[in-house]
Amino acid sequence: MSSAAQTATGGAARQRASAAVARRRRRRRTAVGWGFAAPWTILFVVFLAGPILASLVMSFTDFGLRDLRNPVGTNIIGLDNYVQLLGDPVFLQAAGNTAYFVVAGVPLTLAAGLLAALGLNRAVLRFRTLFRVGYYLPVVTSIVAIAVIWRFLLHPDLGLINLLLGLVQIDGPNWLANPVLAMPAIIAMAVWRNLGFVMVIFLAGLQGVPADLYEASRIDGASTWDEFRYVTWPLLRPTTLFAAVITSIGYLQLFEEPYVMTAGGPLNRTLSVSMYLYEQGFGFLHLGYAAAIAYALFVAIAVLTVLQFRVLRSQT
Amino acid sequence: MTTQRRRRALAALALTLLLVACGTNDEAAESAAPVEGPASGELTVWAMGAEGEALGVLAEAFTAENPEVTVNVTPIAWDVAHDRLITAIAGNETPDVTQLGSTWAGEFAGTGALEPVPDTIDSGAFFDGIWETNLVEDTAYGVPWYVETRLLYYRTDIAEAAGITEPPTTWDELFTMAQAMKEEGGAENGISLTVGTGSWQNYLPFVWSNGGDVTAEDGTFSLDSPEAVEALEYYDSFFEAGLVSPQPEGFDITPAFVQGTYPMFFSGPWHLALVEEAGGEDFADKWAIAPMPAGDSATSFVGGSNLAVFEGSENRDAAWKFVEFLTRPEIQAQWFAEVGALPSVESAWEEEALSGDEQLSTFGEQLQDAKSPPSISTWEEVASTIDDQVEQVTQGDTPPADGAAAMQESAVSIGTGGE
Repeated sequence: MSSAAQTATGGAARQRASAAVARRRRRRRTAVGWGFAAPWTILFVVFLAGPILASLVMSFTDFGLRDLRNPVGTNIIGLDNYVQLLGDPVFLQAAGNTAYFVVAGVPLTLAAGLLAALGLNRAVLRFRTLFRVGYYLPVVTSIVAIAVIWRFLLHPDLGLINLLLGLVQIDGPNWLANPVLAMPAIIAMAVWRNLGFVMVIFLAGLQGVPADLYEASRIDGASTWDEFRYVTWPLLRPTTLFAAVITSIGYLQLFEEPYVMTAGGPLNRTLSVSMYLYEQGFGFLHLGYAAAIAYALFVAIAVLTVLQFRVLRSQT
Repeated sequence: MTTQRRRRALAALALTLLLVACGTNDEAAESAAPVEGPASGELTVWAMGAEGEALGVLAEAFTAENPEVTVNVTPIAWDVAHDRLITAIAGNETPDVTQLGSTWAGEFAGTGALEPVPDTIDSGAFFDGIWETNLVEDTAYGVPWYVETRLLYYRTDIAEAAGITEPPTTWDELFTMAQAMKEEGGAENGISLTVGTGSWQNYLPFVWSNGGDVTAEDGTFSLDSPEAVEALEYYDSFFEAGLVSPQPEGFDITPAFVQGTYPMFFSGPWHLALVEEAGGEDFADKWAIAPMPAGDSATSFVGGSNLAVFEGSENRDAAWKFVEFLTRPEIQAQWFAEVGALPSVESAWEEEALSGDEQLSTFGEQLQDAKSPPSISTWEEVASTIDDQVEQVTQGDTPPADGAAAMQESAVSIGTGGE
């Protein structure tokens, strides 16, 4: 063997060796990476991905009371749960109620939040921080506590709202027991509770609007309305999208407010999809059917979110 | 709100992933008698609400009699009790003995998790109405612990102002009295009748008193029988006449009764203490209780709690002995003194603590004519459809006959849970 060949062989061996080292190092780095990711991954798989998959499978079965002690003994019934959903008048009513809540509640919450943000964004206002805290406080208060308090406020005889109406000689209605007024009362409460969150988002958005744009528009002779219409509003688009998506997702899962305030009544007028799901799943143990309702709700949330992205996506 | 969803998903996981041993689902009418001699070993007992807090006292008495036994009482709040039991059954982590709501036997026996009652327990010792709440297809799965039944509470002073001195004994008299109390007695409403969740407990006594029932003799639903329709018409007539105004969620009848806005209502024995406390001393002579007014009969609702032993309990002998202990007349009387729970054992009513009290004996008499809904595994669901239709009829425009027909239709489609 020539020395050249020897060198070549040696070089190849060295190369192989260094490649092996690199591989080992990479493997170790991968292992370390997974190690760091493991706490989240394991929790995700066990507590989120697993149940999500399990409930998807469950939605194609008639899993119920009798299967509790022997879950594998349940019957696969294909799409029957979903077919049944479409013909279930109570579910359809719950879906209608939820849609009503979202369609009326989301724009109102956004408008109220935007108004509050515009007002509080003006530097001239005194006690600005106090007002911000005031608007935000309901957001961080327990929803159940708020719902209980509002139930008192809306009480037909002793409630503050009807007492105030009484001062101006108006005989206030029995809000939560009235089939027509119960949902608007709940919407009003939800708007009041959630506008603080939307306000904070909009405040951040408003601070991102460059001041020179306002200056330029003022030089061009724009009125306050023009300024809002042609400068502020277009630049707030991504902020609006975010606020709309987050609020809609929350509102579609309406649960605690009617659960505490009306128990879904009167005449099922405030029954939400989440409440019906809870009733079917944990009241009557129709877990298969409840899983199907959960997936129907999931699809509704996904569709609405996609729609909002389509409509509100920044056009720049 | 996302935590809500996550929690639901978690529950779903728990149910699917936990593979549990399949219980023996034999159709034996009763299980073997517990072995003779004193109880020993460890016993886990779940009890709800005030009973859970106070049961320790009786557990001590039981331990004094059976020194070898250790009784661990786990108090559970009523509002989570149902879910806790379901989770325990799914996870095969059941206690030895549990307290059960009187309408739960059908549902839990349906899971195959309860052990049939051995013949050492004498069924004849209990009030029939409450014993029957434990019967699922003629097999008893629980033993009555205490009972309650519903009576009419009414304001004697408002009645007198309206010219009425005697409690109503018939349906007509009840209606006239409600009318008089509102129109002449000056009360805002004539009576309180419940609407919404749980209103079946208020409505069904009228069906029973009119000769109707939830199910006919052959076990099929009879919620739209002519007797039931008539009862629903009667129930609705109070609303039609404007004698009941709708009550908000979380409504508390006690202060309204004391204020006189609702001068009559139906409720159980717990309201004796509540009304006394809310009314104070001056109020004592302004109210009274009376038995159910009669239609064909004067049948009330019987509720209460039962005791059940789980299939697969490692200490079933001690479990049944503890149940037997809790249903002895003297222990039942002691339990009444402790928490005010009315004895399910008839002979316990002869004990001094109960026999001397006039109000209590009215309850005791009513218990002779009191019924409960059938123990079917789908009862909660059927009850909710009754609640719905009672609401549709009294608050909406649905005529009683249509409401009863709708009850019947959904009940039939829900079924009785038998396969």
